[in-house]
Amino acid sequence: MSLFAGIDIGSLSTEAVIIDQQAAMVAAVILPTEAHSTKAAETALEAALEQAGARRPELARIVATGYGRVSVPFAHKAVTEITCHGAGAHHLFPGTGTVIDIGGQDSKVIRLGPGGKVVDFTMNDKCAAGTGRFLEVMAAKLGAGLDELGPLSRAARREVAISSVCTVFAESEVVSLVARNEPREDIIRGLHRAIVNRVWSMVRAVGVEGQVTMTGGVAKNSGVVELLEEKVGQPINVYREPQIVGALGAALLARDQARALG
Amino acid sequence: MSFAAAMRYRFMKDLGAPALMAARRAMRKKRPSRPDPLFGPPLKSLARLKEIMMRHYFLARYAPGAHPVAWVTSGAPVELLRVFGFYTFYPENHGAMCGAAHMAPELCQAAEDHGYSQDLCSYARCDLGHYFTGKSPAGQLPKPDLLFASNNICQTVTYWFKALAHYYDIPLILFDTPFNFDQITESDLRYMAGQLEEMITPLQRISGVKFDQAKFLASLELGRATSETWGQVLQTMRHRPSPLTIFDTFFHMAPVVSLRGLPVAYDYYQTLLEELRDRVARGIGAVKLERKRLMWDNIAMWYKVRDFSNLFAEHGMNFVVATYTNAWAETIQYLDPDDPFRSLAKTYSLVILNNNLDHRLSLMERLIADYQVDGLVIHSARSCKPYSVGQYDLKRLLMERLAIPSVVIEADITDSRAYSEEQTRTRLEAFFEALED
Amino acid sequence: MTRKEYLQHQKTQRHRRVVGVLPALFPREILWAADAVPAEVWDPPLAVSRAGAHLQPYICSVVRQSLELILSGGADLVDALLFPHTCDSIQNMASVVHDYCGLDTPCLFFYHPKAPYTQHSRVYYRDQLQALLERLQELFGPAEPGALTAAVEMGQRMYRRLGEMYARRAGGNLGLGNEEFYRVLRRGEYLHPEDFIAELDQVLGRPAPAAAPPGPAVILSGVVPNPPGLLSQLDRLGVAVAHDDLLMGSRRIPSRLPAEGDPLDRLTESYFSLPPCSTRSNSLARRAAYLGQLVEQTGAAGVIFLIVKFCEPEYFDLPNLVEELKARGVPSLVLDTETNQPYDGRMATRVEAFIEMIG
Repeated sequence: MSLFAGIDIGSLSTEAVIIDQQAAMVAAVILPTEAHSTKAAETALEAALEQAGARRPELARIVATGYGRVSVPFAHKAVTEITCHGAGAHHLFPGTGTVIDIGGQDSKVIRLGPGGKVVDFTMNDKCAAGTGRFLEVMAAKLGAGLDELGPLSRAARREVAISSVCTVFAESEVVSLVARNEPREDIIRGLHRAIVNRVWSMVRAVGVEGQVTMTGGVAKNSGVVELLEEKVGQPINVYREPQIVGALGAALLARDQARALG
Repeated sequence: MSFAAAMRYRFMKDLGAPALMAARRAMRKKRPSRPDPLFGPPLKSLARLKEIMMRHYFLARYAPGAHPVAWVTSGAPVELLRVFGFYTFYPENHGAMCGAAHMAPELCQAAEDHGYSQDLCSYARCDLGHYFTGKSPAGQLPKPDLLFASNNICQTVTYWFKALAHYYDIPLILFDTPFNFDQITESDLRYMAGQLEEMITPLQRISGVKFDQAKFLASLELGRATSETWGQVLQTMRHRPSPLTIFDTFFHMAPVVSLRGLPVAYDYYQTLLEELRDRVARGIGAVKLERKRLMWDNIAMWYKVRDFSNLFAEHGMNFVVATYTNAWAETIQYLDPDDPFRSLAKTYSLVILNNNLDHRLSLMERLIADYQVDGLVIHSARSCKPYSVGQYDLKRLLMERLAIPSVVIEADITDSRAYSEEQTRTRLEAFFEALED
Repeated sequence: MTRKEYLQHQKTQRHRRVVGVLPALFPREILWAADAVPAEVWDPPLAVSRAGAHLQPYICSVVRQSLELILSGGADLVDALLFPHTCDSIQNMASVVHDYCGLDTPCLFFYHPKAPYTQHSRVYYRDQLQALLERLQELFGPAEPGALTAAVEMGQRMYRRLGEMYARRAGGNLGLGNEEFYRVLRRGEYLHPEDFIAELDQVLGRPAPAAAPPGPAVILSGVVPNPPGLLSQLDRLGVAVAHDDLLMGSRRIPSRLPAEGDPLDRLTESYFSLPPCSTRSNSLARRAAYLGQLVEQTGAAGVIFLIVKFCEPEYFDLPNLVEELKARGVPSLVLDTETNQPYDGRMATRVEAFIEMIG
């Protein structure tokens, strides 16, 4: 049996996905990246093989993606996460025309053409506003866990306006809002609004076409998804494990490449 | 120009606008006034100012078709346009309005959504945001037939207006004023005067009105008299206590910026001047307790004018002069009806922002002496590089030469998202402490 | 020889003056006529410390690093500094240096007229050339008779070679990779034209490559081709830069080189034939047409915009250029850069994804 693997080495976490000839997922793991990307890739792949009950030689082809993609000596090819997220999202939701990926360090919006091919994309600039990092910093300030943000935001009765776009400014703004005893829920909803406004600029730049699919860790935050849906004016597809979409895309590309090579 | 549109404009000007103003007056009378603990009694002229500006924006809706409409930069020689009957609209003034109405973040965001960097001038982003969304605190802006810009205030306006020229698909006339690095030369003057004379042909074509030298001279004279009276208004602030605060002048400057060369602006400043002189004679100050006198550098922070006005008054501090408001009075002395084009060129090219920093330093030293200034607040405005680059040196040199304490606020003219209340508070409190020593 | 050694050599052995020149458009020929070597300052590799006391954090890295160089001894090496009127930040930085920094180095300013041009623009530009030549002669002594005409001729020889280099690259007949191409081109920022022309001749004399790179071709637009890591990555990906719309590159190569006449008239004629540029305030229609034409002529598959963060003139034109390209079906990638920023993974990913997309 021939299997195909995709490994997505991000700055915070590494994901590995293994699929079979029919593109059915036989394993998917998420592990922290820690200090060494080659090691992280190796560990994630081993864990995925174990989950699939398969051995290394059964892997016909491996594609690496993410920031650490060039540090995976055993990968047959390195492909950027933009192309991989596009391929993964297209596979999971074939009607996808626009992919919004909000990750820890950066966020991107990808426009897909027929067959899931990338026709346009944009990424945030160096500023952290509009990334998972922004929410992480703010959640820490508010003493909330990352996974609590969504439910808290949806429980807000009002919304506090966060005027600063800069993470540093917004942080001091949050501090003073807390000092003024503004409810935590309302502040969180305001922060979500700020991040959505930033991401919306990027969505606007590439345009909305067909279905919208959200990937990356922040897609698990129902508060952000809800506000984005409001902006987009249509429901957004979110896969149950949105972080693995990039690795899945890489595995799909591995399968395509293996076929093309015969 | 269409006859129907002209008739409608006439109707609105003669009947609509006065009716609107009367309605406003009637509404206002119902509000009882209370003495303010911090400020002297409000100026009577303020009501007139509001009427003038409201009427200006109200008539803007009816101007297209009735008059040729020009969008103009704040430093452009508008006196020339008056000859051709242009209805003039100032995007910078509109940007200030967006800032004061706290609409700038929304409009800026709209421009950013269309690819304009958040690091660009926020007046420009507000204006482009209006173009993309149709939103404005002024209701509806008059669609332009002509863009009239001068880079004597910044190069930014040339980039911004060329984008407008592209979107509206209309002509752009630029009055290119070489930066005065050392001194203005004969060649500079020839170049600028030549451009002004050459503009007449396209202006005639766009407006359908023939150039008239007598009208031009009359418009120059009116512009000159308006700027001169504005200068006299500012000079009343040399008195202790000052009858105005700089925050007042940020609003009172609207006519000299937007309606220069029209009788209404001149008349307004005559009335205002009379009222201010009366206050000076009676010793009425704008701030009840004027213990310290301050100077403001750079454009206003339009979303903070009211807050700052209260904050400084609470500390017994009054801003009595600003390089910004002074700019519309400073160079009018060069205007000479016997040599209109060259002297107009000189008047407009020697303004503070088109002049070297040595000139700016001397100007500030003079204003500090004339207005008996105790301290300086420097607004470092992200939007405005020609105003802001060099401020750190100015701060240092003024401290060295005059021992004037000063504080720098890193902020923006309209985009409150680039402003941090906490950082600014800390800096200002340290500044207040330094002034009390 | 390093750049600094070369300039020292020019001073001590060739007895030439060295003039430090800020970006971007300036009449090199006028400086050559005064027997001065212009040393252009675009992106000195310095950590900014002193300049921070004079410039706000929202001023671009070109201006910050140039000021850093001037304040950290760079001004001592040169006999004068020339500030062309490129943008508001350079304008005010010039005034800061001239009026506030207490340097002994003479500071010269060069204003070039802004578009839309009128008939007076040409007259004024010529006046400015004349004034600059006079000012240099006041400082450095009278120019040799015929020096100006010789300088104009030399400039034309240089532009012809640069034109040929660009044309051969566009046709895939130049044996230079992207990184090497710009390394050669950028030596013109400080070499005396005789030396630079000799180097260009050497490059043009090399045999044409056997095969074109396998990947898609791109056009670069922006200020400088930084970070250099981008160029080597494109080389590795097999992507050829077919042409550029860079301020330090093709935007400074005139299309008209008049054969005879008054030298100042010839320079003026050439200046007004330069490709459209944000710093001259040329219309968006002209800029879009120029970019479109480069794409069409070279068959490039996309455009990469290298924008220096906080660069107002470039930022303002960008949305329209991107949109016009899109309307023509040409994808583009915008990279916000600082002149000395390392080529990091984030940027590499974008570039690679862009190449995957257009390839």
